Amino acid sequence: MIQKILIANRGEIALRIVRACRELGIKTLAVYSEADVQSLHVQLADEAICIGGPRSADSYLRADRIISAAEIGDVDAIHPGYGFLSENAKFAEQCESCNIKFIGPKSSVISTMGDKAKAKETVKKAGVPTVPGSDGVVDSESEAIKIARKIGYPVIIKAVAGGGGRGMRIAHNNVSFAKEFHSARNEAEQVFGNADVYIEKYIDKPRHIEFQILADNHGKVLHLGERDCSVQRRHQKLIEESPSPFLTPDLRKKMGKSAVKAAAAAGYTNAGTIEYIVDAKGNFYFIEMNTRIQVEHPVTEEVTGIDLIKEQIRIANGDKLSFSQSDIKFERHAIECRINAEDPARNFIPSPGTIGLYYAPGGHGVRVDSHVYGGYVIPSHYDSMIGKLICYGRDRKTAIERMYRALSEYLIRGVKTTIPLHKAIMSDPVFIEGKATTAYMEEFMNRTPPDLFN
Amino acid sequence: MDIKQIKQIIELMKRSELTEFAVEDEGFKLKIRRGGNGLPVVSQGAVSPPPFPTSVEAAPQAAAPVVASKDEEADATYIKSPMVGTFYTSASPESGPFAEIGAKVTESTVVCIIEAMKIMNEIQAEAKGTIVEILVENGQPVEYGQPLFRLK
Repeated sequence: MIQKILIANRGEIALRIVRACRELGIKTLAVYSEADVQSLHVQLADEAICIGGPRSADSYLRADRIISAAEIGDVDAIHPGYGFLSENAKFAEQCESCNIKFIGPKSSVISTMGDKAKAKETVKKAGVPTVPGSDGVVDSESEAIKIARKIGYPVIIKAVAGGGGRGMRIAHNNVSFAKEFHSARNEAEQVFGNADVYIEKYIDKPRHIEFQILADNHGKVLHLGERDCSVQRRHQKLIEESPSPFLTPDLRKKMGKSAVKAAAAAGYTNAGTIEYIVDAKGNFYFIEMNTRIQVEHPVTEEVTGIDLIKEQIRIANGDKLSFSQSDIKFERHAIECRINAEDPARNFIPSPGTIGLYYAPGGHGVRVDSHVYGGYVIPSHYDSMIGKLICYGRDRKTAIERMYRALSEYLIRGVKTTIPLHKAIMSDPVFIEGKATTAYMEEFMNRTPPDLFN
Repeated sequence: MDIKQIKQIIELMKRSELTEFAVEDEGFKLKIRRGGNGLPVVSQGAVSPPPFPTSVEAAPQAAAPVVASKDEEADATYIKSPMVGTFYTSASPESGPFAEIGAKVTESTVVCIIEAMKIMNEIQAEAKGTIVEILVENGQPVEYGQPLFRLK
C-alpha cells in the first residue's frame, strides 16, 4: 500500500502530484533545487529535501541524490512527472532495484518505446499503421536513397534518439537527398550522441492527434479519447483540445482501437500517450509513444471526468482499473492554453523575473494549473511554462468563448507572457473553424502584427 | 532581548514604513532590514504568498526578514553538505569522531561521513578553521547544502 511518494519534479506538475496525493491521503516528499526554495509545492508537501544547485544537471537530473532522498525519506514510490528523468529507463531500473515503485511503466518498456525505430517496429507487428519508411536504421547513403525512391518524395530523415524537432531533415528529390541525409546524421551525432537515422514519408501539413492510454498491471488497456495538439511552434505545443475538430466518430473509433492495440503490443502499463499524424484525407500514422504523463493531461481529465494522476498512483499500487472502455464518456469540449513567461512580440524571448500582481481567472468551466503567485520569482534555469489555463464547456464554441473570457481576466504583471498570443488565436477564424494543422502557427504569425501581443 | 520582543519589533516594522531597525546591547547586536536586497517591495494587496522558511542563509523575498547577528557569528564559515544522505560523526560506531569542537581543520581534513545508498562517503572540510559548533546529530538525514559544522 503506497503511503508516501517522492515527487521528482518541480513547478506545476509537482503541485499537481501533491494535490492528487493529498486527496488520496498519501504523504508527499518534495525534492528541490536551491533555485526552488520558494516554490509552492515545496511549501505544501509534507516534507522537502534539497538535492542540489539551481542547474537541472545538478539537481533534478541527479538520479543518485533523488534515490538517496527517497531512502532517507523512506518513501514507497517516486512520481517522475514529465521531462527530467520521467522517460529515463536507467532511472526507472534503479528505482526497481531499490524496491521503490516507479510510477510509470516498466524500465524495459520505457527502453523499447523510447527508441523511435524500435517503437515503430513493435506497433507495426500489431497491425498499427505507421508512416511508410525504412525498417529501422539506415546506415548507408545508397541504401537510404533506394528507400526514398521506393516510398516516394518528399521524405523526412529522422534521428532514432531524437526529440524536440532536432536531428530531422526533409528531402524533396534525389538531387538534395544526399546533402540532407548527411546533415541529419551530423546533427544527430552532435545533439544526441547517436548518428543513427531512419527514413519516413513526409506528410505535408498533418494534424497531430494523440490518444491517452491507461493500462493496469492486470492486462486491462483503455483509451480516454484524443487530444488535438496541432497548434505548435517549433514542435513545442501551445494549445491542445479534445475532441479534435477534425475527427469523425468513425475515425475516432478506428484510431482509439489502434491506440489500445499499440499500447498492448508494447506491454504497456500505467499512463501513456500514442501519437499519430493525420493527413487531410483522414489517413492516420503512428509516430511515437510517450511513456509518461503529459503536460496536456488536464484536457482529457475535463472531458472524461477521470483524474489521471490518481489513476497513475492506483495502478502503481497494483489496483485494477475500476472502469471499462464503455464506462468512459466524452461529454464536454476542453481546450488548454500553455502560459509561458515569454514575449511573443519579441520572438518569444524568455521573460524570467519577479511576478508582481497575479490574478487567476475563475468561474464556470475554468481550471488553472499553476504554481506561481504574486511575489514569486520565476527562475531562469528551467523551462518558461508558468501555468496552464484549461477551459471547458458543452461544445467547442462555448469552450473557445470561455477561454477568451478567462484569458482576458488573467493578470500576470511584472513579466511578459503568452496570454495575448492565446487571446489572438482564440479570435482567429482559422482556429475557430477548426482548420488548424501543424502548419498553422507559422502561417498565423506571418499575418499577425507583433504589436497585437503587447 | 527575547524572541517575543523581536517578533513585536517585526510587527511594528511591517505596519510602519520603517526600512531599517538596529539595536545594540552587551554582547548582542540586532539589525532588521526590509526587502533584503534593497529592491522596493512590489505588491500592493497582492495575494499573500505561503509562509517562507526563514533561515540565516536564505535570500529574503518579501516583507521584513530577520537578519540577526551576534558578535561571535561575524566571522563564521560553514561546512555544508555536498550530498543527500545520513550524517555520521565517525567511521564506525566503535571509532572516535572525525572532528570535535575545537579541532583545527584544513581543506582536506575529513570531518564526517555521509552515507548514501549503503556507500560511506568521507566528507572533506574544503575550508580552513576551527570547529566551534556541530549543527547536526549522529545518524541525522541531511540534504544538499545543509550546514553541518560552523567554523571560525
